[in-house]
Amino acid sequence: MRTSFVAAGLVLAAALASGPRAAAQVAPAAVPPPIEVAVERRLARALGLAVGDTLRVRPSPAHPGRLARVAAIHEPRTDPAVVMRRDLRLRLHLPDLAELLGAPDRVDRFGIGLGAGVPPADGARAIDRAAFGFRAFPSDEIARESSATFKVVSRFHRAIAVISVVASAIFLLCVMLLKVEERRLDAAVMRFVGVRRRTVFGALLLEAAAIAAVGAVVGTGLAVAAAWAVNAYYQRFFETQLLFALVTPGVVGFSVALSLALGLAAGAIAAWRLASTPPLVLWRRG
Amino acid sequence: MTAGPVVAARGLVKRYRLAEQDVEALRGVSLDIAAGDYVAICGPSGCGKSTLLQLLGGIDQPTAGDVTIDGVSLAGLGDRALTRLRLTRIGFVFQRFHLLPVLTARENVELPMAEAGVPAAERRQRAHELLAYVGLGAREGHRATQLSGGEMQRVAIARALANRPALVLADEPTGELDAATGRQIMALFRRLHDDGTTLVVVTHDDRLAAEARRVVRMLDGGIAGIEVKC
Amino acid sequence: MTPFALGARNLGRHPFRTLLSILGIAVAAAMLLDMVMLAGGIETSFAKLLGGRGFQVRLSPKGTLPFDSEATIPGASAVLTALRQDPAVAQAGPILGLALHAPRRTAAGADTLVTLFGYGLDPAAQGIYALASGADIALGDTLGVLLSPPAAGRLGARVGDTLVLQGRLDPQVAVSAAERRLVVRGMGEFLYDYRGQPSVALPLPVAQALAGQAGADEVSVVMVRIADDAAVAAATARLRERLPAVQVSSIADLVVQFRARLTYFRQLSLILGSISLAVTVLLVGTLLTITVNERLPEIATLRAIGLSRGHIVAQVVIEGAALTLLGGAAGVALGLVTGQCLDRILTSFPGLPAAVSFFVAEPRSIAVAAATLLAAGTLAGAWPAWLAARAPIAGTLRAEAT
Repeated sequence: MRTSFVAAGLVLAAALASGPRAAAQVAPAAVPPPIEVAVERRLARALGLAVGDTLRVRPSPAHPGRLARVAAIHEPRTDPAVVMRRDLRLRLHLPDLAELLGAPDRVDRFGIGLGAGVPPADGARAIDRAAFGFRAFPSDEIARESSATFKVVSRFHRAIAVISVVASAIFLLCVMLLKVEERRLDAAVMRFVGVRRRTVFGALLLEAAAIAAVGAVVGTGLAVAAAWAVNAYYQRFFETQLLFALVTPGVVGFSVALSLALGLAAGAIAAWRLASTPPLVLWRRG
Repeated sequence: MTAGPVVAARGLVKRYRLAEQDVEALRGVSLDIAAGDYVAICGPSGCGKSTLLQLLGGIDQPTAGDVTIDGVSLAGLGDRALTRLRLTRIGFVFQRFHLLPVLTARENVELPMAEAGVPAAERRQRAHELLAYVGLGAREGHRATQLSGGEMQRVAIARALANRPALVLADEPTGELDAATGRQIMALFRRLHDDGTTLVVVTHDDRLAAEARRVVRMLDGGIAGIEVKC
Repeated sequence: MTPFALGARNLGRHPFRTLLSILGIAVAAAMLLDMVMLAGGIETSFAKLLGGRGFQVRLSPKGTLPFDSEATIPGASAVLTALRQDPAVAQAGPILGLALHAPRRTAAGADTLVTLFGYGLDPAAQGIYALASGADIALGDTLGVLLSPPAAGRLGARVGDTLVLQGRLDPQVAVSAAERRLVVRGMGEFLYDYRGQPSVALPLPVAQALAGQAGADEVSVVMVRIADDAAVAAATARLRERLPAVQVSSIADLVVQFRARLTYFRQLSLILGSISLAVTVLLVGTLLTITVNERLPEIATLRAIGLSRGHIVAQVVIEGAALTLLGGAAGVALGLVTGQCLDRILTSFPGLPAAVSFFVAEPRSIAVAAATLLAAGTLAGAWPAWLAARAPIAGTLRAEAT
């Protein structure tokens, strides 16, 4: 039923070139009065419709359809499940749609509001017992089931994130090694004058920590800017208010912690390599 | 070969900026070096001897004055021409050898010949001969990192001779070597000179300076005196 | 000693550093390859699936994609007649999609209803399944049915078994208005099914009866085979004109629609691919810049003994190219493996045909990724090469001596 409804919307979009012209062809007084419909903003823009305009709604091209008057232009609630389909939606009163589709007294589903304090699972079980042939679901179970697509996308993003972290870790280790290697003569001289290996290690590690900390802060700033850019672009592209990238305190905390940990680990490996090399070898290498 | 000096320097002045200070390394130096000559340039640190050597070799450009090599003035030459000149007419030996550690002794000697377009077989043969000449025939397959300091310097000398230069310029060639090894290098330079190579050596080492036919003493950017051995 | 040989040899100076850089480039290269595969993979895979049985055109209800909604094409007979009159059309196969149910007794003795996806079709002109075992539904056979392996599994049915299929199930009283006893003729691989989809194929009139549409003359989709591949575009345009009440889509049209729905992945592949390239450029550029700085005295010496600027530049650029080549080779191998893992994730999208892949390893994708990476890595050496070539010989030697 719902998909037929959507098909009707698409037929509408395809069949009606201009609402006002259809209005000009309105049948004589014997024709039933137009039904009221609510048109979503994007559909209204696509067809150049305004409140009060008249149009013809058909479930299929061959169907005579019904005249409809635009009673309202609305912004549909953002539904991530359909944002990529870019369907254009039309709202009708249920009896009008049922009559149009030739399927009176039929719906896809009921939405049920429970009394205060009634757990949804209990309510669903009670309905299942009482209403034979139906299946009732708590809303959060529906949400979980219909989120399957997003779970796949989340897993994909997580996999990409893992690959990115691995690449970053290797890159970090490489850069730390190079930076620390540049200090080999300093390290050699320190050891010559009696500075302990531990102190050399600590000094280099502190430097690595500082670089990691600054990098994490700069990276966070870049991430916030990138998230803003992603949202701005995709909200415009899909004409939606959905958020596509969300930088939360948790995400920032995790990312900063991870980059600090990776930076310190990379710095520690690089510093250990340098500190454990005999100073004469370092000197000659220079 | 021209009848005049191999290298002629006239009124060389060199100023440069070092650590936010203006340094006048040379204050009007003139010097001729004839073919087959063996000249040592001596003086205290900072007197301008390395700077003079670099100007004579076309590595650097004077602030004023001119250098000619085989009658050709370096003043009007672009980088490409100067590079070609250094490749074909001048050989350099440095204090720190500066061999390529990833190459063998033979490959280091072949490098200038490869750049000059000498065919592979010919340069391989010449490299072999040069290394034998400097006493390293048995070590030609060793990487530079596997050689001692003296051996590396001998390879560097062989490299300097690769393209049969008119002039060999050496900057503190024994500076990084112990006394015994230094003597070996001095003997090699003596042999080069005996074989007709024109040599200019910058050195702190009085014993190396004593090997030369002429000793140019520098002080504060100028020539304080020239001693000629009979 | 050519710049190529020197550049390649220089990589051996610091083996650990070089190995790490190669690893880093390998991971970036793997990501780049995966993104190149992702950019075109799903469309390639989808187009291959659509064209696999030779049907180049599909008709669906106006404004919809095939099986995208429950809408149907009314007056199917007239549509088929019009199609068969077109000289370019070799075959037209109608399909009705519907939900069916089959009662089953479980091992515990309980009665249960198994929900199945039914395809009512003309077995002589179908592109929905490939026969896997048993026999196909013969022309005129109104008692035969084919099962997909998941359907057979759920029903516990084998070839030769009789099963009851019910249509128009009234959920209130759990009773169906139409029922048929059918014999399992064979098992089929249903090409457009998602993983685990329990599907059955039965003759169109039987399906229409079960759907309560006997005589209603409606179908969900018509698959059309055009005799000559070169005539598909012209035939599609002609059919659109002749059948304005129906959505006529060629494979190319469907791929475009599909692409529009997967814009996100294409754009993601572009962004991540660009980031991979940037990481490669950064890594190679950083490594070479630092190694050039370390080797400035050596470079100054080489210039002093007569090596040209061009030689120095070539040496450094080739070092970068060699690193990238080695990393890229490892990255291609890694990328093929990670691509499979990522594909396993994305192909678990609910409702996606099992035959479709997101990451398709074609020689072209690999070549594009490799060439782009090599170009980026080579260019990354440009700045450090310029630094090296421009280093003042005398100043460098002077700085080294002090």
